[in-house]
Amino acid sequence: MRAPLERRSAWPTLAGMALTLIPSLLLHAAPTRLPTGMDLLPLLPLITLFIWAVRRPRYVPPWLIFLIGLLQDLLIGGPMGVWALAYLVAFSIARPRDEEGGGEIGPVSLRFAVLALIALAVAWGAGSVALGQPAGTADLVTEGVLTIILFPVFAFFFARRKERSTFS
Amino acid sequence: MAQWRSSRRDNEEGVRFSPALFIFLVLVSCILVASDRPENRPQVLSGVRAGFNDAAMPVLELAAWPLRGVQNVGPWWRRQFELAQENRELREDLAELRAWRDVALSLRDRARLYEEALNLETPAVRERITAWAVAERAGPFVRSRLIGVGARDGVREGYPVVNVYGLVGRTVDVGQRSARALLLTDLNSRVAVMADRSNARAMLTGDNTDFPRLEYLGTDPDIQEGDRIVTSGDDNVLPRGLPVGEAVRDRDGRWRVALYSDAAPLDLVWIWPFEPVAPPEANPLSVDALPGLNAEDLTGDLTGDAPQDAGTPQNGETGSEPETSGPGGAPAAIAQTSSSDGTADGAADGEPGGED
Repeated sequence: MRAPLERRSAWPTLAGMALTLIPSLLLHAAPTRLPTGMDLLPLLPLITLFIWAVRRPRYVPPWLIFLIGLLQDLLIGGPMGVWALAYLVAFSIARPRDEEGGGEIGPVSLRFAVLALIALAVAWGAGSVALGQPAGTADLVTEGVLTIILFPVFAFFFARRKERSTFS
Repeated sequence: MAQWRSSRRDNEEGVRFSPALFIFLVLVSCILVASDRPENRPQVLSGVRAGFNDAAMPVLELAAWPLRGVQNVGPWWRRQFELAQENRELREDLAELRAWRDVALSLRDRARLYEEALNLETPAVRERITAWAVAERAGPFVRSRLIGVGARDGVREGYPVVNVYGLVGRTVDVGQRSARALLLTDLNSRVAVMADRSNARAMLTGDNTDFPRLEYLGTDPDIQEGDRIVTSGDDNVLPRGLPVGEAVRDRDGRWRVALYSDAAPLDLVWIWPFEPVAPPEANPLSVDALPGLNAEDLTGDLTGDAPQDAGTPQNGETGSEPETSGPGGAPAAIAQTSSSDGTADGAADGEPGGED
């Protein structure tokens, strides 16, 4: 029997967030380049952040979104502030709203797609400003498409076991 | 359909975006974006980056370790079928390389003889520093690798990073235990190169694609498809002769370079310590620094009246200080410039061999 949420400790949630957000950041920066030259990885920090924003909205405040973006910038060695700004703006526009918390994976994936597109557009703009010239779009588009396509898979595994088994 | 259910309390509070905090964080982000430009990055931000890399290094190293193994599994299986062929090719290469080694050794000996004859002091060749890449991302804004060695291992900013096939990039953001290798393909990478065959100079410019461009080639460059491109050393940033890649034309007819370093995964690299040549102003020649040589000896040498023994005091003038008659009190010999006929122009008055 699970305890009511208001009496449940915050530590399991915080631990869960730490155990998913930190590895997603590390994996995103890790040397995963294949010998064939392909270096394809979705935006794992964005996926993880969004999943937690859906599951536990109050544990995803703006400063955490900013921090994750900034850490991503630092770990990949890119211009500082680009992904921090992109995530902040995207979440401010398309974050899971109060009345829409939870829900089916389909609509949630759609909302994520919108959020990811906003994040990518802002990142392109900010990155271009930081580089002093228009940034290339090929890598960004590839990364974005991969992120949006793979989100439902991650969402499925992160969804609660009970709901996952009740496909209609 | 799979359902996602947040608690009612979660839903009521939602992702709270305090307007003041949000605006503050957006402002901070904008300031960072505007100020963290590679060409004029403040020292503070470089320090923050290097410090962060140092702190994150152990965790990144731990995270990269299993990935390295996974990376090699695919190629290992694939290459089992190619091993016999590769073995045969390697044996042929080995036979050829043995001959080249003899040539190299003989050239080394000859170079040493010339250096001794000319009394040259070439910079000592320092040992390369081996490093693993622990983080890498070929993203839309940056192409760099974080490597697990830093200032305490002897790495300095701007050192060339090579792998077994050729030049990979150069070091930036050097911390105590980590450094970032800016790849040749990065938008901010500029390296002076030349064609090995024709010595045609160019600037290798990264544009975040896998094939960096050759720019500033001139109107009729002597470059052919497949030319071996090496560093020219003209920029005094990288040493001359490091292999870079092969010249290729893209669909628009522009010259690009297919990098040699792409032939191997970049997880193991070497850093070559390289000290750029100091500008002349920063390293003035001082007679005092030349043991056994004084200004008179040097003046006589310049005018073709070489002393019998530059290291031996003459006519009982032991331990005399060099005369200073040049501008700013510089030693006389240094204040002079050689003319085309080998004599010294404006030799100090009263100096032996002077034309005045």
